[in-house]
Amino acid sequence: MAGFINRYAVWIGLGVWLLLAVMTLLGPYLIPHDPLAVDMGKRLQTADATHWLGTDHFGRDVLARLVAGAKITLGLTLVAISAALLIGVPLGLLSGYVGGVVDAAVMRVVDALVAFPDFIIAISIAGILGPDVTHVVIAIVLVKWIGYARVVRGTVMTEKGKAYVLAARVAGTPGVKTIFRHLLPQALPEVLVLAALDMGKIILMISALSYLGLGAQPPMPEWGAMLNDAKMMFQTHPVLMIYPGVAIFLVVLGCNLLGDGLRDRLDARGEW
Amino acid sequence: MGFDGMLTSGKMGMNKRKSERTSTGTKTTPAERNIPPVLQIDDLSIHTRADSSGKRLVRNLNLTIQPGEMVALIGESGSGKSVTASAVTGLLPAPLSMSGGRILFQGRDTATLTSPERRAMLGKEISVVFQDYAGSFTPFIKIGKQLIEMIRRHMGWNKTTARVLATQALEQVELAAERVMDSYLFQLSGGQQQRVAIAAALMLEPDLLIADEPTTALDTLTGETILQLIDSLRHKTKCAVLFISHDLHHVIKRADRIAVMYGGEIVESGPTDVLVREARHPYTRFLLQSRMDLADVPARLQSIPGEPGAVSACGCPFALRCPVRIARCDSEAVPEMMVSDGHTARCHLIGEAQGDLGAAEITRTS
Amino acid sequence: MLGLIGSRLLQMIVVGLFLTFATFVLMKLAPGDPVKTILNIDDVAVTQAEQEAVRQSLGLDQPLVVQYTEWFWRVVRLDLGESYITHRPVADLIESKLGATMTVTLGGLTVMLLIAVPLGILSAVYQNRWVDQLSRLFSLIGVSLPSFWLGLVLIYWFAYQWRLLPSMGNGGLMHLILPSVTLGIAMAGVYTRLLRSGLIKSLAEPYVRAARARGLGEVRVIIVHALREGVLPVVTMFGMSLGSLLGGSVVVEMLFAWPGLGKMVVDAIIQRDYPVIQGYVLCTGMLVVLINLGVDLTVRMLDPRLRWRS
Repeated sequence: MAGFINRYAVWIGLGVWLLLAVMTLLGPYLIPHDPLAVDMGKRLQTADATHWLGTDHFGRDVLARLVAGAKITLGLTLVAISAALLIGVPLGLLSGYVGGVVDAAVMRVVDALVAFPDFIIAISIAGILGPDVTHVVIAIVLVKWIGYARVVRGTVMTEKGKAYVLAARVAGTPGVKTIFRHLLPQALPEVLVLAALDMGKIILMISALSYLGLGAQPPMPEWGAMLNDAKMMFQTHPVLMIYPGVAIFLVVLGCNLLGDGLRDRLDARGEW
Repeated sequence: MGFDGMLTSGKMGMNKRKSERTSTGTKTTPAERNIPPVLQIDDLSIHTRADSSGKRLVRNLNLTIQPGEMVALIGESGSGKSVTASAVTGLLPAPLSMSGGRILFQGRDTATLTSPERRAMLGKEISVVFQDYAGSFTPFIKIGKQLIEMIRRHMGWNKTTARVLATQALEQVELAAERVMDSYLFQLSGGQQQRVAIAAALMLEPDLLIADEPTTALDTLTGETILQLIDSLRHKTKCAVLFISHDLHHVIKRADRIAVMYGGEIVESGPTDVLVREARHPYTRFLLQSRMDLADVPARLQSIPGEPGAVSACGCPFALRCPVRIARCDSEAVPEMMVSDGHTARCHLIGEAQGDLGAAEITRTS
Repeated sequence: MLGLIGSRLLQMIVVGLFLTFATFVLMKLAPGDPVKTILNIDDVAVTQAEQEAVRQSLGLDQPLVVQYTEWFWRVVRLDLGESYITHRPVADLIESKLGATMTVTLGGLTVMLLIAVPLGILSAVYQNRWVDQLSRLFSLIGVSLPSFWLGLVLIYWFAYQWRLLPSMGNGGLMHLILPSVTLGIAMAGVYTRLLRSGLIKSLAEPYVRAARARGLGEVRVIIVHALREGVLPVVTMFGMSLGSLLGGSVVVEMLFAWPGLGKMVVDAIIQRDYPVIQGYVLCTGMLVVLINLGVDLTVRMLDPRLRWRS
């Protein structure tokens, strides 16, 4: 079992993401229910032919909400990770390649933020700006770019001194070209692994904050927020908390498998 | 330098010559007195995998060590000498394993030992001194504590008694016992660290000490005092020594017998004086030749031809580098052949005149 | 040694200044009017004059820098202001909640160690064998499980279905079990893998081979000799990942209605009780720096080589 997982980690991880993408794209066509349509006459129904997973306390179709939640999760995570990459990678390249004052400035900010528990930063920002899922994404980006800046900076610093980079410099290759041709590809494996693992953490963070009521607000069918709803009825309708929980678990597991598998394949470092 | 220098002038260095003669002595060997050998290795093979499909590191090795005897195992790095030592202790690193032969310690097949039995034997009956003296004790625990731990493990004594023995052992190797007991290993110099390792190894008076290149990582002078120390203590405790080294000259002075390894085989072995006088294997002759007096024949001095460590896959392992090679050497495995009593060699040309090995000739042949 | 403590204290001051300023400015930029929060006027009509009176009494009409300076000097004297809602001093509030958070955090740590230490050791010793594979699977599941969901599931079975354990509030050891298990399982995966890789590294050290060659039993070799170095990265990591612990405690405190700092801050965020949020951020910040100092000292204690080098 475990050996199987080791071997196919990357594919299982990619499979989960593919499933998520398919659900996002095709879900609305396959499921004939509006995830937000309240129907108090059909509250808390058990699964049947029309509502495959039943309905919640507002009579909304659970499957439709789960699928809509997939879209939200996918979207928010991709936005957050892209923004973190777009800030962290260039800053890391710049900081490592230029060095000096630029490096010192970037690293001071990194040091100040890194001493700080990311969940606490996220909570503070969500708290200060008010409970909203956009604020959660902002907080995540603010926290997560650091990792990429550090990884890229580290690689650039070690690669910069190597003969082939010096040769390129001596040959008069422009700095930008050296960076993109030689340095960035070197940092890519670790960045990829980190990004895959971070996606799992981001999903957990978004759903946790939403669960706490600090992220996605009702009636948005975000999985963590759905769990918050389900919590109220967990004694009478425990199934309602199974679905979003399992959904979060599977997607995060997919990310971790992907990151793990990539690390093994690309021979990069990084831990959960 | 500190303690290292004291030994050469110390009393241990003085009174050891006499006892050395008696063990290599002429009258009766332990074998003749019918005492079983301390260590007997028969036909040992070691592969990189559990079955014999992996790379072969040691092939068909035979070696016997009598009580109190010092046998030197000589060879280049990668010739399989350290691996052989690990096989004796049962501490072969994970991917390596014994694929053939047997190792008898005090007449007992070590393969039949359970792992608690093996552990009870290590440190008590067989001790090891490693080349890497900095790794001979755990860096986080004070030396005294580790010595006492070892004594209590084997002897079951209380702490106070164990402490007395540990202190004595450190004094034996001419260290300031109290201070060393209360130190961490990294607070000592290299020579001192190796002394502590020797003290620990001989503390419980084992029957066999395996000294795995104990002086290689030390400077020449310190190494010399360490060798003297091992030599004197082995006479005191009547402990047999398997001395592993890559340097033939180092051991000629002290070993009773020498076995020369090349490419996982013992290519030649015999009593030290016999081997020095009438080496039959070209490799041994090269090793001896490079030792010759520099002042006499500077022009003749030459290194062994070929790439160091090049091992021929079949036939004689030295064939690729041997200047007197004949066709048979490339294809036909060489059996162990008796040259004289106790002197064996593995060379197809053993009975024939090998002639000149190149620019130099062996001067001191009988 | 003193240098280390000095530099940590300096870091603490820098982090403190940064934190106070950042939170202060962000709070000022934040949407929503604290005056309205205090007067709670979303539905009741309050005159402009009344609002201005409150604003003045809180000093909210002063320029930002003045407000910050005043506020900062009060903070230095441990006066963190009053809660807008309960009007209790924030310092008192934090003090009264700190114990509960510490308790649940230590409980979580204990559970984490109970899982991670044996599992980490076993999977290092039996590397790539079934124990190791199983522990990898467990770790993977552990890091992928949303802790709030795990908590809900535990509450459902242990508190509701089987009625074995209480699920709400703080009232002794029995109340501590479910929160601790929830927090512990969430963290155990990472630490198991960390301990495993640390121990695998130290088991390959020459001093471990030497300890074996001295005839020490394998258990002794692992526990007494190898584990010390294997634990070092775990201790270091602990300092760094304190965030997940404090973050985790927020979730767990909310789940189990545990009267700690985490629940306090979430309630404060929802009620826009800014002084409390500020106090929390400041307090956890200082706590993180302090614990990192503790971690540094622990690593030094565990590794005498570091002690002697300086």
